[in-house]
Order: sequence, then structure tokens, then C-alpha cells
Amino acid sequence: MNTLPLVLVSVLLYVAGAFASLLLASNERLGIRCAGLAGSAAALAGLAASAPALLSGQTLDFASSGPFPFARFVVHFDLLAALMVFVISLLALAASVYSLSYVREYEGRGAWAMGFFMNLFIASMLALVVVDNAFYFLIFFEMMSLASYFLVISEQSNEAVKAGFLYFLIAHAGSVLIMLAFFLLYQHSGSLDFASFRHLHLSTPLASAVFLLAFFGFGAKAGMVPLHGWLPRAHPAAPSHASAMMSGVMVKIGIFGIIRVGVDILGATTTWWGLLVLAIGGISAVLGVLYALAEHDIKRLLAYHSVENIGIILMGVGAGMVGMATHQPLLAVLGLLAGLYHLLNHAVFKGLLFLGAGSVVFRLHTKDMEKMGGLGRRMPLTALTFLIGAMAISALPPLNGFVSEWFTYQSLFTMSLQGSFLIRLAGPIVVVMLAITGALAVMCFVKVYGVSFSGAPRSPHAAEAREVPAPMIAGMALLALACIALGLGAALVAPVIAHIASQLAATGAIDVASQTLVYPGSATRTALSTPLVAILLAGGLLVTVVLGGLYREQRQKRRHGGDAWACGYAHDPRMVVSAGNFAKPLREMFAPLYRLRQQADPSPAMRHSLSWLTGAASWMEPRFDDNIVAPMLRGIHWLGRQVQRLQHGDFRIYCLYIVAALVILIVLTAA
Amino acid sequence: MQTMIFLAILQALVLLAVAPLFSGLSRVLRAKMHSRRGPGVLQDYRDLVKLLKRQDVATADSGPIFRVMPYVLFGSMLAIATVLPLVTTRSPLGAAGDLITVVYLFALSRFFFSLSGLDTGSTFGAIGASRELTLGVLVEPIMMLALFVAALIEGTTNLGGIGLGIATGHYVSPTAIALAGAAFGFAAFIEMGKMPFDLAEAEQELQEGPLTEYSGSALALLKWGLALKKLVVAQMFLGVFIPFGQASEMTAAALAFAAAVAAVKLLVVFLLSALVENSVARGRFMLTPKVTWIGFGVASLAFVFYLTGL
Repeated sequence: MNTLPLVLVSVLLYVAGAFASLLLASNERLGIRCAGLAGSAAALAGLAASAPALLSGQTLDFASSGPFPFARFVVHFDLLAALMVFVISLLALAASVYSLSYVREYEGRGAWAMGFFMNLFIASMLALVVVDNAFYFLIFFEMMSLASYFLVISEQSNEAVKAGFLYFLIAHAGSVLIMLAFFLLYQHSGSLDFASFRHLHLSTPLASAVFLLAFFGFGAKAGMVPLHGWLPRAHPAAPSHASAMMSGVMVKIGIFGIIRVGVDILGATTTWWGLLVLAIGGISAVLGVLYALAEHDIKRLLAYHSVENIGIILMGVGAGMVGMATHQPLLAVLGLLAGLYHLLNHAVFKGLLFLGAGSVVFRLHTKDMEKMGGLGRRMPLTALTFLIGAMAISALPPLNGFVSEWFTYQSLFTMSLQGSFLIRLAGPIVVVMLAITGALAVMCFVKVYGVSFSGAPRSPHAAEAREVPAPMIAGMALLALACIALGLGAALVAPVIAHIASQLAATGAIDVASQTLVYPGSATRTALSTPLVAILLAGGLLVTVVLGGLYREQRQKRRHGGDAWACGYAHDPRMVVSAGNFAKPLREMFAPLYRLRQQADPSPAMRHSLSWLTGAASWMEPRFDDNIVAPMLRGIHWLGRQVQRLQHGDFRIYCLYIVAALVILIVLTAA
Repeated sequence: MQTMIFLAILQALVLLAVAPLFSGLSRVLRAKMHSRRGPGVLQDYRDLVKLLKRQDVATADSGPIFRVMPYVLFGSMLAIATVLPLVTTRSPLGAAGDLITVVYLFALSRFFFSLSGLDTGSTFGAIGASRELTLGVLVEPIMMLALFVAALIEGTTNLGGIGLGIATGHYVSPTAIALAGAAFGFAAFIEMGKMPFDLAEAEQELQEGPLTEYSGSALALLKWGLALKKLVVAQMFLGVFIPFGQASEMTAAALAFAAAVAAVKLLVVFLLSALVENSVARGRFMLTPKVTWIGFGVASLAFVFYLTGL
């Protein structure tokens, strides 16, 4: 079935929604509704386009010459693109439904622009993942960066503008590297089509150069350490449904680019590429979660978790690349499977968490967790969906985050089993990093949920909070259900993603699932059945309920009230642990790594060099004026004054001019 | 298959039933080492019955998490108890007996356990939660690396598979296995909530801080669940690294023998851990990383031995 027209329909619907929002600037309420509904419809079209392609495993192509002679408009809807379209559409659906109520908050504060840029942002991402030509790829990449830049600065606060500027800078530094990579490829293939790139046989140093340029270029977009400085500033500044799209999907475009260039185009031929990806992934994961732990701005904390999860995705991708380079089909497929599965999962739960944070901000008008507290009882549905998201991101079984981390562990295990000394050394080191990351993520989300949703309200606003409107709940519930479905349905999802992985790695099919089991290649090594885990947990709960019911008739009814115990003193709200105190032991134990953040973050240096640049420019600017522009102006003035002398206002002199001109013309024609 | 499911359920229920016996044993041993008379071995059963008859009290600020936590903790421990190799060398339910699954099931219980500490609005509960999680951060990597080295040697990440390999004498690198076992034993000791990492008699101060606000039947379930956790952690160590005597085929004689051996092994582990626990001093909490580094160092050493093939 050719579902490509549906992709086009989806893109066009987003664009229509964007312009409807722009045109309805005077009637924002209608504009919000148009943008949200068009976005939802477009997302449904996107889901309808990608799901059949994913299930049938079919690759669709379309090519036309396009308006430019140097670049053909080529669409290559392979399985990777289909997965990305699926992820984008799923998140866009939740975010668009959510925006129907959420953006009302911004009425009179540029809600129309928000609808415009949001839909354009999603449309450009959708177009970006399906095009197969470097020129169009870059155009859509820039569109995506620009649209998201405007979303980041939509609050117009000082901090948002600053964050937006940093984002703009790093995004463009990244795209310059990507352009260079494509240019190198173009030089050798003579065409901008990715298809022509795929057939190239580059020498190893050149291929490595292209890979490094693309890796760091796309890595800046993905927010991997050390190019992550913009992410914790820019994502929190955007409105929450846009943060969900940025953290859930846009950073994945970076991963998509790395896979497209490193795996699909260059074929991951060199072992150290994969090891480099693994190393950066491990470092991103540990540092991302460690820095998240020290935050008490809820959205910034979630943004740091994106750095962490990008790291986990890169671990899988890196293991897969090592597998391709060392010709181990099982490892190649397992690694890419783990990476892509986590990509999908992270989009879902991070989107959910950002929407949840948005709901809290919607009611409380603050991002500071110290001013929340007790929201679990005042906003029960938001709290429940947020809890599911928090459990998923902490990789707790049987939810989706656990399944993809399990596959990541399995790919690292497979990698450690054989190969050179370096590979066997790297595997367990990354495993330890992943284990630390997992434990820290649990701590971090206990903190987030505990401080914001549990205990007593920490501010008057928190004490008066109400549940958010139905569309926002619906958006979050959709993603929460997806978290559960992608976890329990692992045995159905894993083969689909494994198919994508084996298409990318150009290997035969690898068996990863049967019935309710998922396993790495064969069930004899080890296996996981998330439904079984869920049944065991449910059975355990049942036994507990039965045991808890013993002697029930002999005890008094449960009493709910009174203060917490405080060693015999009167309980005081100020005694309660704050978000900062909670993570204090770790902040002291890992103090050197926190210091590293100040020392190794390139963004202050970048900002410094930039301030030098603007300083130099503002020094140059007057020179330019004084030495070139001003003399020219003076010359023109002088010329004008000379010309004025010809005009006396006396018509006899004008007649003289005419006669003189006639004489000259006659002489000229005669000659 | 059906016998395995039956065995899984049976072993979980047996572990559940004897858990208060073992925690009572710990109390008796501690009293003996303190030169006290102490309560009897069955004291914990009497405590449980008494608590089950008492009223539940929750603080005004507490929410649903506080309510469900004892059930989740208990439930996840029971789930782990079904998959551990106890009397058989293989895990009775292999599909959930992967080492990663089990480690993350512990994380599930830790997540809710700590969250309940914050949920009450109690100061001590929250500090206890923070400490519990910090210990988790320090211990989980040790556990994971030690198990991973053993898994690499035996070529499977299934707990039963690793145990089977060790039981049948398949060592590529015996030193590495021994060191990994030592590191895992160290981590298991901490996970069992023992001194110097925890002092259960002064609950509000350390690891069991989230218990502060519990009372009545909820506290009974929690105490029982934590006793079960100690047993489960100890058995996880035994089942993987000291799987000797566990039945490899399903005959009644082999199983009965294995059950007796399992009981003896658990007794020895509890005896040894009581000895260690009562003969070390308690350190400041902020110094625990200095102690846990030893465990991590041993696990790393195991990895190096494996890597060099010694």
C-alpha cells in the first residue's frame, strides 16, 4: 500500500493549521482551536501513513526533479523514516490535543504565533525525516531550528531570549558541521542525493572525517555531552507542549541524523566510530542524570534527563555500530534495536512528563518544585499519569523504559562477549555507567514526584490547585497508555523495530521475540516476558492484600489525620525536606563531577567568544561608518549641491538647456 | 512447565512463611552477642500478629503512595522470590529470571519505598528516603558489575543460567568468579540493611526511615516485606554464586535434599552476616562511599581477572 500521499496530507495539514493560526491572530480562541485540531488531524494522518509501512516492512520512494536544477526532490520512506514519522505523529497528537486547553494560557501573549510556529515546527520535522536529498534535508533542518527558536523565545523574558540565543548559536554551529559533511560527500558523488552517497566507497580517513563532522553536528542537535549546554536552558523556556515536542522528538532528529549518516550512508565501517558513540553516550547518560538531580526547576530537570536518555540511546546505537564494523549481525541488530526502541520510548515518556510539568505550571505558574507539594491529591489524574511517566523513565519493570534498557544491556553484553580487548573492556564499563544512571534516575524521579506531588503544599498556589481541563488530561493519558502498551506489548513491538535495525545494518532477520517473550537472538541465552513480570507483581499484590486482610475485624478503622512525627516536637512545614536537601548527599559524594560542569561546559566560552565578536563588531561598525559610509554621503551631498546650481527656477534658462541639448544631439547624430 | 510454575509459587510462599523466622534469628543472635537474653526466635511472628490487629494511622498530608507502598514492596519481593533459583539450579520462571530484570525489580521496590517517605510529609521519612536511594546508587553498580562478570563467564545473563554454569564447574576464570562472588556478597550485605549501613533498631535515622509513619497492619506488612527482602537478597547471592546442592533434575529426593541444603546455606549466611554486623562500628553516613568503593574495587578486580583470563 502506498501511504506516501498520507505523509503529504499530514504535512499540508500542519501547514494549514499554522497559517490558520496566523490568520486568526485577532480571534485567538478560534486560532488555538484550528491549530490544535489541524495538528491532531495531521498527526492521525501521519500515524496512518507510518503504521502500515512499519508493519509491512515496505520501503516507498518518490522522486521529482523539483524547481532547482542542482537538487532533485527525492522522498525515501524507509523503515527508519517510518519510525520517525510514527514517533513525531504520536507525540504531535498528544501535544496538539493538549494544546487545545494549554495554549489558552497564552491568549493575548502571542498564542497565534505559538500555533503557527508549533505546526510549522512539526511539519518541517516530518518533511526532514522523509527527504533523501542533502539540500532539502538542510532546508527543513533549518526550518525546524528556526521554528523551535521562536518557540523558545515565545515567553519574551530576558532569560528566554538569552536561552534562545544560545540555542540559535549552537544549532547553527551544528548545521555548519552537517553542511561540511554533506559537502565532502557531494564532492565525491557529484550529486546531493543520499542515494548517491550510499554508493560511495570513501577512503577510511575521509569517511571518518565525514562521520565526525556529522556526529558532532547532529550531536549538537541531540544535546549530547559536551554540546548539551543549550538544552537545559532552551527546553524549559518553551511552552510545555513545545518542550514535549523538542525534548521528545527534536533531539531525536539528531539521533536520526547520526544513524542516517553513520549507519545508513557510511555503513559504520570503522570500529572506533561505534566506540566513540558509546563513550559519549555513557558520559552523557551519567552526567545528564547527575546534573538533573541538582535541579529544582522541574522543566530544567526534565531537560537534563533528555541529555541522559540521549546518552542511553547512543549506547545502543554505538553497540550496533561496533557490531556492524566487526561483522556481528546479532550485535548490530540488537544495538540498533535497543537504541531505536529507547528512542521511541523516550519520546513517549519524556513527552508525557513535559506535558505533566506543563499541567502543573498551568495551575501554579511556577516551575520551582519548592513551591509545589501535595499536588497528588489536588490533581489526581495529572499525578497518576506523571507517576507512570516517572516509573517508565526510571526503567521500572514492566513499563516501556525497562524493556529498551534491557535490550541495551543485552546488546552491551553481546558486545562484551567477544572481539578485541578494547571492545571487551568497553562493554562492562558502559554497563556500569548504565547501572549508575538507572539508580540515579530512580532517585531523581522519587525527588520530582515526592517534592511536587506528595506531602504538604509548599505554597498557597499549590494548596489551591485544581485538576487541569479534559483535553490536557487526554493528551497525557494517551502517552501514559502508550508507556504501558510499549512495555507490556514488547513482544509485538520488538520484532518491528528489529526489522528496521536489520534493514539499516543490512543483515538477515534476527529473531527477537515469540509469544510474550523477547530475547537477544535466541531464548536459550536469556529472555524477558513483561506480561509475566506484570502477572507476578499482580500476584504478589494479591497475596499482600489477602495477608493485610488478616484480623481485619479485630482492628479499628484506619485513621487519616494529624501531623507527621517530629521527635516529640511540634511538626512545622519548614522541617520538611526540600528538593535541594534531598539530593545533597549525592551532590557531596559526586562533587568533582559537578565542578566539571562549570569547567567543561563550552557554552560560557562560546558566549565569551561571542561577546568578543559582538564587541569587535561594535568597534568595527563606527569605523565602517566613518571611513566608508560617511565620505560617500558627503560626496553625494556635494554632488547634490552642484546639481542644484543648474536649477535657478528661471524658465528662460531651462529653455536654454533644451536648446543646448538639441544642438548637442544634432551635432552627435550628424557626426 | 507446570511443575515449575507450581515450584515457583511454592518457594515464594515458603520464603514468605519463614522470613520472620530468619529475622527473629537475627535478633536472637544480636542479643547473644550483646550478652542480652533477648526475645525468642518466634518473636517476629508474635509482633506481626499483634500489629495486624492494630489500627492504621496516616498523617494528614499522606496520599495514595503511602497507602500502596507496603503492597508494592511486598508484591515485588514475592515476584523476585518466585524467579530465584532456590532448590533448583535453574530459575523456576526463566522468563523473569534475568539478572537485569531482578535488579530492576529491586529498584521498583526502592522507588516506592523511598517515595512513601516523602509522601507523609515527615522529615525523618524524607531523609531516610534520600539515604536509601543514595545507598542504592552506591550499591547497584557493584551488584550489576559483579553479576555481569559472572554472566560474561557463563555466557548468559539469566540468574539460573549463571548458577548452573558455576554449579557444573564451568569456570573460565575461577579467581574472577570468586572475586565477583565476594563483591556481590558485599553488595547483598548492604542490601540486607545491615550495620554499618543501617541500624534497624533506630529506625528513623537511616535506611528504614520511611517506616517512621507506618503503624498497624501496614507496618506489619512492611516489616514482613523487609524480612522477606533480606531472605531474597541472601538467596540471590546463594543461588547464583554458591549454587551447590541445588537440584538439577526434578526428582523428589533431589528436591528434598536441595531444600535442606538451601535452609542450611541461608542459616550460615544469616549467622555470618550477624557476626559481621555486630562486630563493626557504625560510621557516618557521608563516609559510606569510602566503604562501598571497596566493593566496587573488588568487582572491578573480578572484571580485570576475567579480561586477562586468569
